[in-house]
Amino acid sequence: MSADAVSALGLSIRVAIAATVLNALIGIPLAYLLARRVFRGRVLVDLVVTLPLVLPPTVTGYYLIVLLGRRGWLGAPLYALTGWSVAFTWYAAVIAATVMALPLLVRTARAAIESVDHELEKAAYTLGRSESRTALEVTLPLARNGIVAGLVLAFARALGEFGATLMLAGNIPGKTTTVPLAIYTAVQTGEMNEAVLLVLALTGLSCLVLLLAGRLGARAT
Amino acid sequence: MRHRFSVEITKRLPGFTLDVAWTAGDGVAVLFGPSGAGKTLTLQCLAGLIRPDAGRIVVDDRILFDSAAGADLPTQQRRVGYVFQGYALFPHLTVADNVGFGLRDRSRSDRERRVAEVLERLDLGDLAHRRPADLSGGQRQRVALGRALAIDPALLLLDEPLSALDAPLRRALRDELRSILTGWGTAAVLVTHDFTEAYRLADRIIVYEAGRVIQAAARAELLWQPASEAVARVMGLRNVLHGVVVKSAPDRIQISWRGHVLEAVNSPTRSYLPPPDRPIAFFIRPEYVRLVRKDRRALDAAHHMNQMRGTVVGESDFGTVWSLRLRLDTPGAPAQGSFDLEVEVPHLVYEILEIERDRHWEFSIHRGSIHVLPT
Repeated sequence: MSADAVSALGLSIRVAIAATVLNALIGIPLAYLLARRVFRGRVLVDLVVTLPLVLPPTVTGYYLIVLLGRRGWLGAPLYALTGWSVAFTWYAAVIAATVMALPLLVRTARAAIESVDHELEKAAYTLGRSESRTALEVTLPLARNGIVAGLVLAFARALGEFGATLMLAGNIPGKTTTVPLAIYTAVQTGEMNEAVLLVLALTGLSCLVLLLAGRLGARAT
Repeated sequence: MRHRFSVEITKRLPGFTLDVAWTAGDGVAVLFGPSGAGKTLTLQCLAGLIRPDAGRIVVDDRILFDSAAGADLPTQQRRVGYVFQGYALFPHLTVADNVGFGLRDRSRSDRERRVAEVLERLDLGDLAHRRPADLSGGQRQRVALGRALAIDPALLLLDEPLSALDAPLRRALRDELRSILTGWGTAAVLVTHDFTEAYRLADRIIVYEAGRVIQAAARAELLWQPASEAVARVMGLRNVLHGVVVKSAPDRIQISWRGHVLEAVNSPTRSYLPPPDRPIAFFIRPEYVRLVRKDRRALDAAHHMNQMRGTVVGESDFGTVWSLRLRLDTPGAPAQGSFDLEVEVPHLVYEILEIERDRHWEFSIHRGSIHVLPT
């Protein structure tokens, strides 16, 4: 395996782990809010989170450029202020993977939270627990299997992200070239041996992750 | 009286309006009535899980809710123990952790002492490390009670606490629940739609129908003096009948019904004196109708009043008693469809009198067993 391939594999794993951590931090509270609270704009939040699931990844990537690119809504002020842009850095790969994986976690975790008997939460309130403590001590522990399964799916999705990553992070070897991008490059340049190795590595990793998710899912029901 | 609480709330929901006011004190107050009458909704308002549109809830001089003053204590601060219909035990926690759940702000040793004490009192000591899934229905009920009682609540709320159990267990646990509630001395509000359960568990019964209170009384008073025909029907009383007043006095009322003039006891305390010719509702308990033995002559008028004759037109065996449906000999349409009166006789009496063979009977009803229902 070439040095580029090894670096792509390492980058992919790092990006997937970082995206999964971000997913947990953003997605679990979001899933709880969507499952348990009625608030203004709830439908809109649900829609925005879910869209990357149905849109072509390049479209999601385009929106990310509009938002975070050097001339983007958030990217331009950031660039003016610091002279730094997130585009074409490995952070961009993490952000793209996070956005693409988020609907998988939120949908799975939300279903798991919704299946927790609401009476248990009411019981906790009568016993003096605040809503946030109840979520941490009752709701989330009981939804744990579903949440973990959602995180595993998010990890797998982040590992395989291609389109949105290409749009926002580019394909810079050793910097933003993740395994899927490396495979694409390898095939384009006719390095079939390299492509096969990376394909097998990614397939194996994904299988491992899905088997894990299947076992957790089975235990959750 | 140590405890005193009052509830006065209205809550409007789509297609249903709750509008109730009642008070209770020491002991167990039972909210009794058909499903959908607003009993559980009232409990949830008491616990602060649902916010009433208007009203006032006061427990032992502590204002839990007062719409006029803008007061609405959050559930967490109400110190109200709630035993849910399905018990709502935390499945991921042990019995001990369930019982100790409400004691978070106490020190560890204090909490452990209190949990041990509660488990001991409820005979759950051996189960401390079990999970709810490994418990029987009766044990789950006790854990739910223990969890609610551990916080030493100002008020204990129980929503159909026996409905999750099957019939034989239910009767045993009803008596156990009664002794636990009496033993702890916590003021309690319990919801049920089963009158036997209400009567066994209550000191005071508050009768609900369609979002309103139709009677609130001590349990014995309710049993013997339902305030209205609506209450009698919710209680499931049989032989609720309609006649016409002939004469009323503070202690007696004469009622014309199905060609007879019945004499009933009036309640002087109630001072209910309907004028003659006014329609009147009354009920006769089926177990208080006396069949007259045919081998006895010359009935003693002091014991056999309100004599009538009729034929058994239907009967059902309830295991220990027979329920007979009697149709009076007097002409006219029967009062209850195909029959006039339901009469209950023990199996032994049914056999001695050979009712199976002998269908035509004379019977009497003591005036004290005919209960007038004021309108």
